Amino acid sequence: MARQKLLQVNVPGIAFAIGCIIVFEITARLGWLTSYVPPPSIIFTALGQGIANGEISSQIGATLHSYFIGLALATALAVTLGILMGTYQPVFDAFKMIVEFMRPVPSVAMIPLAILFLGLGPQMRISVITYAAFWPLLISTLYGVRGIDPLALDVARNFGITGVHALWRVTLPSALTGIMTGFRVSATIALVVTITTELVAGNSGIGFYISQMEQANRLPPMYAAIILTGILGFLLNALFFQLDRRIVFWTPAAQDKPA
Amino acid sequence: MSISTRAIASQRQADLPAASIPQSTRTAKGTALSISTVVIALLAWELIARHMHSVYVPSVTQIAITFWHEWFSPTFKEQAIPSLYRMFFGYIIAAVCGIALGVIIGSYRFMFRLLDPVLQYLRATPPTAIIPVGILLIGIGDWMKILVIAFGAFWPILINSADGARLVPRERLDTAKIFGLTSFETLIRVIVPSALPQIAAGLRTGLAIAFILIVVSEMIGSTNGLGYYILQAQRTFAIPEMYGGVVLLAILGFLLNTVFVFGESKVLAWHYGQTARTR
Repeated sequence: MARQKLLQVNVPGIAFAIGCIIVFEITARLGWLTSYVPPPSIIFTALGQGIANGEISSQIGATLHSYFIGLALATALAVTLGILMGTYQPVFDAFKMIVEFMRPVPSVAMIPLAILFLGLGPQMRISVITYAAFWPLLISTLYGVRGIDPLALDVARNFGITGVHALWRVTLPSALTGIMTGFRVSATIALVVTITTELVAGNSGIGFYISQMEQANRLPPMYAAIILTGILGFLLNALFFQLDRRIVFWTPAAQDKPA
Repeated sequence: MSISTRAIASQRQADLPAASIPQSTRTAKGTALSISTVVIALLAWELIARHMHSVYVPSVTQIAITFWHEWFSPTFKEQAIPSLYRMFFGYIIAAVCGIALGVIIGSYRFMFRLLDPVLQYLRATPPTAIIPVGILLIGIGDWMKILVIAFGAFWPILINSADGARLVPRERLDTAKIFGLTSFETLIRVIVPSALPQIAAGLRTGLAIAFILIVVSEMIGSTNGLGYYILQAQRTFAIPEMYGGVVLLAILGFLLNTVFVFGESKVLAWHYGQTARTR
């Protein structure tokens, strides 16, 4: 029953979405909206053209490039530090206050600082993305490690599994559910920050394209790129949701849905 | 059906950032260690900065002095107050609309199904991407920022409220029916309180987004405000001022989070009591 329901397409929902677009189209065509809002058909045509002639599609590559590097760097750093902080009390004590001070800094406030040291290129963006994606991952890794059943570690110790082996064989797998939760939060934040850095101070990427089109007053491609960011966010969400289910396949949430 | 609902709920739960790090520094030695790392880091920065003589890296004392001069002066009123006021205004609009619409959407299964694809799409759109649209349609005045913030913070609040209202335990609704509550009474007395933990989670995400949006919208299109201030400081090579601005943003972010977590713990004390008991 549950499976069938999930496999079904949400017909009323999709019909409603299409209805919204049609209403938008009609009101825009009738001139009831301002001239700053072109009808959806023109926007979608611009999106198709931009992807076909490479004007927009080349920017997708630039955006995804810094997005994935930043996210990967943040994951490696945050999981390592999180496991160390969660396992060793002195490490936790040493970093606790620094984490508390650094975490509330809104990541976008780091943009001017990053420009100062790294210029306007992809390195600047990657550093800000890494910074932003680092914190949720660190916190959830900490929670994951703290939530480990002490019995599991005791059993491992009885079998002579200690130190690095215990970290690898017991701590990491147990903390993985928490880590994946943080990873999905970070993945969402990373996309927002990627687009934002490109918008504020980029020299490539979809965000940069949006601000350029705005300044050139070429509105259909601007709206097309904004719509594209939503599609990208939606697809990345779906991708990481699948990844989450494959990696932590033993959790109840992952087992519910058809593979 | 209940199983798949749980799957969706746990999928949505993944969107909630943790409020704070697990508190477990208990010993005096641990606290001393925490403080000493901060002191060592600041000292190291001070020494390196003095040694390097780089314009890019001012010393800690220099930043502190600039911070004092800049922010304990009318500059605070000129730059920080507009940011805070825009942010709160936008956030309040988002909270009121998001909770009201979210609870209603979540209470009616059909309405939820109808709106779900549109909501999922709008939530996935990075909120900063609509700032150029805001500038085009409204200009670079206060209202552009307020509406952009309201728009960005609205979606997480709406979606979490809808989920909270949708996943109210069946027994509570049945009990309300047995006691003959009208549907409006059920909404106010049963659904809203049950959804409150999830609503609070949405409000917290919304606050974080509002904070990002105020900084970015002021960077892109403004003539005052903190985002404008730090980007302008960087462009004019007023480097200590830029660091001071970042420090101020950090302090404001910290305060906002602390106030929010405190308020949440007061309002939701009953919820934490309940979940602690069942464990």
